[in-house]
Amino acid sequence: MIRDITIGQYYRADSCIHKLDPRTKLIATMVYVVVLFIINDIYTYAFSIAVLAAAIILSKVPLKFIMRGIKSILFIIILTGILNLFTTRGTHILWQFGILKMTLEGAVMAAKMVVRLIILIICSSLLTLTTTPIELTDGIEYLLKPFRRFGVPAGEIAMMMSIALRFIPTLLDETDKIIKAQQARCADFDTGGLKEKAKSLIPVLVPLFISAFRRADELATAMEARCYRGGDGRTRMKNMEFGKNDYRCMIVLVLFVAITIIMMLVL
Amino acid sequence: MEEMIKTKDLKYKYKTTYEEKGKTITKEITALDDINISIKKGSFVAVLGHNGSGKSTLAKHINALVKPTSGTIWVKGMDSKDESKLWDIRQTAGMVFQNPDNQIVATIVEEDVAFGPENLGIPRDEIIKRVDAALKCVSMEKYRKNEPARLSGGQKQRVAIAGVLAMKPDCIVFDEPTAMLDPEGRKDVMETIKKLNKEENITCILITHYMNEAVQADRVIIIDDGRIVMDGTPREVFVQVDKVKGYGLDVPQATEIAYELRKKGIDIPADIMTAEEMVGAICRLK
Repeated sequence: MIRDITIGQYYRADSCIHKLDPRTKLIATMVYVVVLFIINDIYTYAFSIAVLAAAIILSKVPLKFIMRGIKSILFIIILTGILNLFTTRGTHILWQFGILKMTLEGAVMAAKMVVRLIILIICSSLLTLTTTPIELTDGIEYLLKPFRRFGVPAGEIAMMMSIALRFIPTLLDETDKIIKAQQARCADFDTGGLKEKAKSLIPVLVPLFISAFRRADELATAMEARCYRGGDGRTRMKNMEFGKNDYRCMIVLVLFVAITIIMMLVL
Repeated sequence: MEEMIKTKDLKYKYKTTYEEKGKTITKEITALDDINISIKKGSFVAVLGHNGSGKSTLAKHINALVKPTSGTIWVKGMDSKDESKLWDIRQTAGMVFQNPDNQIVATIVEEDVAFGPENLGIPRDEIIKRVDAALKCVSMEKYRKNEPARLSGGQKQRVAIAGVLAMKPDCIVFDEPTAMLDPEGRKDVMETIKKLNKEENITCILITHYMNEAVQADRVIIIDDGRIVMDGTPREVFVQVDKVKGYGLDVPQATEIAYELRKKGIDIPADIMTAEEMVGAICRLK
């Protein structure tokens, strides 16, 4: 059944990383990414990778799920590597063919960029693998709150994201029904080239969009009937609380940043 | 008894444009025409009418989703044209719509039920209490952590009812709540509505196409072309079989059978509403 598609890529497991407050995980990921772009030498890289590896082991998410994220952007990684390899200027020429020049500096740079990208992807996959989309939404809403005074509609953004999540299964169901209805009238979705296949999707997408607009209209009416008037003045039933593990994680994070800075200064 | 809803010369008109033979035609349609009703607190009223008769428009007036073109509607004494009372009216008169999928907002049952109270700015502890009570009232407390997408139609509709209940309304308008449900779900929802009316003393206004549902109300109002054409107890209304059918509606099956039997000269009461009454009447023959 089409409705059994998992939303996002949450991997259900019982680990201390899963139980962390979404805000902690979001902050930790952001700090880690920033550090990743500051560090420059092999020792700090090794240290960052070790910390991430520890987090992965603690999360109990199998490595193969984490690697899936990399597969989807393999092309970008390779392209970045090749571009860095040939465009970095340097003095130690390793290999030359016409205008293509490969330097030692280029090779080092390419290796760094590739490693950086891979770590980046693994780190953000770990966040989405251990946090449900709805938790993420709540976390983002909370972290955006201070920006409300600058006109960022934090509550509205979170509401939009959660409604989108809520309607994914509904619209998937609908797509399924429309496809079956079209197939019953001899629509062909399986044969033909890419162009034909894309064309055959139009009779599915048009009714799907019409129905989505109708649903949106009805939902808006229903929300108004239940006194929705924007994010201001709303209270929330769900309460996010920092637990012991969240404080531990924050301490680890501070230590990680401190050690990295010390390593960069010393070496 | 106190009045929950009162209207005076309520009129609602809207313009519609369409194209015919290359020309754009604008037509004014009167959806509601001089509606004068008064609904008492704690009553259970069924509103009937064929498609496009204006019954849904009337329902939306009660919730202040639509404002009258002329005339006035008061909900618990509050005039719907008074902007400052808008949210009080919507809290007082809740509304349950036809399609459960298009009125559930959250991805978890309990969070959806909490949506209304959250909008009202109610403190967290009170919200939790209200969610508990509302889910219990519609017998859905077992499903509080479930995803609405995985519930049946009847269950979803009961969650939607709980969502309205958590706002502590005095009146709930049900706009064809059973139209998209299977018989089982329909029965559950009807039981819930009756329970709310009898036990919680909530004024229920049920818009429906099913006559056997209308029979369960205290009062039946038939709307045709934006006007109230019949108004009375189910018995008073449905006995006039020819008149009801003239408005494109059915009468309950049992009433119809009694009507046909009487035509054939069989001495049976005309105001039979349910199968049980029919059985009783037939057993009493000779």
